[in-house]
Amino acid sequence: MKIGFVGLGIMGRPMVLNLLRGGHQVTVWARRAKSMQPLLAAGAVGVASAGEVALEADLVISMVADAPDVAEVMRAVAGAATPGLVAIDMSTIAPAAARRIGEELTAAGVDFVDAPVSGGEVGAIAGTLSIMAGGSAAAFACALPAFQCLGKNIVHVGASGAGQVAKAANQIVTGMGVLALAEAMAFVSKNGVDRAKVREALLGGFASSKILENHGQRMIERNFKPGFKSWMHEKDLNIVMQTAHELGLCLPGSAVTAQMFNAMVGSGLGEEDSIAVLKLLESLSGQQ
Amino acid sequence: MNVGFIGLGAMGRPMALHLQAAGHVLHVWARRLASTEGLPAVVRATPAEIGAACEVVFTMVTSSADVEAVALGEQGLIWGMAAGSVLVNCSTIAPEAARRIAGRLGEQGIDMLDAPVSGGPQGAVDATLAIMAGGEAAVLERVRPLLEKLGQRIVHVGPNGAGQVAKACNQMIMVAAIEAVAEALRLASAAGVDAGKVRQALAGGSAASRVLEVMGRRMVERDFAAGIEARLHHKDLGLVLAAARQSGVPVPLTACIAQQLNALMAMGLGKNDTAALLRVLETR
Repeated sequence: MKIGFVGLGIMGRPMVLNLLRGGHQVTVWARRAKSMQPLLAAGAVGVASAGEVALEADLVISMVADAPDVAEVMRAVAGAATPGLVAIDMSTIAPAAARRIGEELTAAGVDFVDAPVSGGEVGAIAGTLSIMAGGSAAAFACALPAFQCLGKNIVHVGASGAGQVAKAANQIVTGMGVLALAEAMAFVSKNGVDRAKVREALLGGFASSKILENHGQRMIERNFKPGFKSWMHEKDLNIVMQTAHELGLCLPGSAVTAQMFNAMVGSGLGEEDSIAVLKLLESLSGQQ
Repeated sequence: MNVGFIGLGAMGRPMALHLQAAGHVLHVWARRLASTEGLPAVVRATPAEIGAACEVVFTMVTSSADVEAVALGEQGLIWGMAAGSVLVNCSTIAPEAARRIAGRLGEQGIDMLDAPVSGGPQGAVDATLAIMAGGEAAVLERVRPLLEKLGQRIVHVGPNGAGQVAKACNQMIMVAAIEAVAEALRLASAAGVDAGKVRQALAGGSAASRVLEVMGRRMVERDFAAGIEARLHHKDLGLVLAAARQSGVPVPLTACIAQQLNALMAMGLGKNDTAALLRVLETR
């Protein structure tokens, strides 16, 4: 397939490489031409504007920071699209924003799928991302061959926006999960007990989870390198809280969690992995 | 003086009337013409027309977007107001929006003052509002005689936006106090104790407050007619949380109370007084 790709950051770069490995022709654009270099060397074609990636493409994929960026890219894509184009946004944005962008694209004759991912940089490199898709069945079917190069657990969740709803739900669970684990770790060591032993004991029971397994290990090693930067988790939790505000939805746990992440960003931990919430708890409790 | 007033709701209407009663010529505009009925005022067709006719224009509308539309939109005030005239914005909006609007008006030589108020409709009627001013001191002094017709406590907090920051702080403390009173009275009733007696007993001690007095009475009497509509506090806490996020300052209690207000909205109680936070606690 011919695929246009916009957004060559930590996630976007390895995703493009996986599409090339899958035998697809990929056209890329980035605001800074330098970001394109390694991908051109790997066989991608570079163009001079966001709209140009859509020329003669079957699919266009965006992987950018926030809703205004997605809207800007997709407006350029709609202007240059040929009939039958399917546009896919894999960034994490508000469900309402995704629906709005989907409507605009549909009006311009372009099919839209929101397909945010979970799995981080590691998953992007390994091609093992979880992909949560929202859009029509036909558009999802067009996108599926590309998704299969990028991820393992690929689910068509529902109509336009449904992928972002799933991603927001994912961030509620992972955000509170990381905080719960960090609280458990702080609790354990303040009681003079070994964190590694407790992790090992808990892995067999109902508290067992990927977060306990992976994040727990990194907390014990005090390895706060991202992974998933806490300012991005904060951004995603803000999407959750904004949506709750608009819908009239009571989410007390998420609200407290969002404030902890807010405090992390405010105290300079934004560039560290979200497990650095442990550091915040430790300083609040006179540990370390 | 020719004074304009936009936003003739539960707060704005009595405020406008005080200005008129003080001998000023009142000019009004409203999206729904019916809101201007019965006012001793010159009804104008657009905000721009008010701007052209008045030295000082007050706005008392709901959201940042409303102020922005009235001030800068098509046929907005900016297209009528002369250099040296003053926009006094009494609406509660985001500090950042206040600064942006002031900046845009400033390019045309028009001054702006944040003047959000606290005291509710009763305070507006009694002309006892607390006014939190943000803007240049000289601008405040020019409109102070007008503000004195609306309230007794006028504090110059700082430059543009500072008045709105003060108002955000006011809302944090006030809504938290309402929730605290609701939780305490709910606990009293659940323990089989007369909530009215508890309120009365507390009124003499360290927990005494205006919120316990006014909102506490509403809760005890189960009089949930607004006062201040809860949907407005819901909106205001949204502004507070956005500002906290921008500053990277944690506000855990405010965040929890915002969730109680989300529940209140979902129950369809947005037009009740915020004392209806008690009803959220009674949900089973």
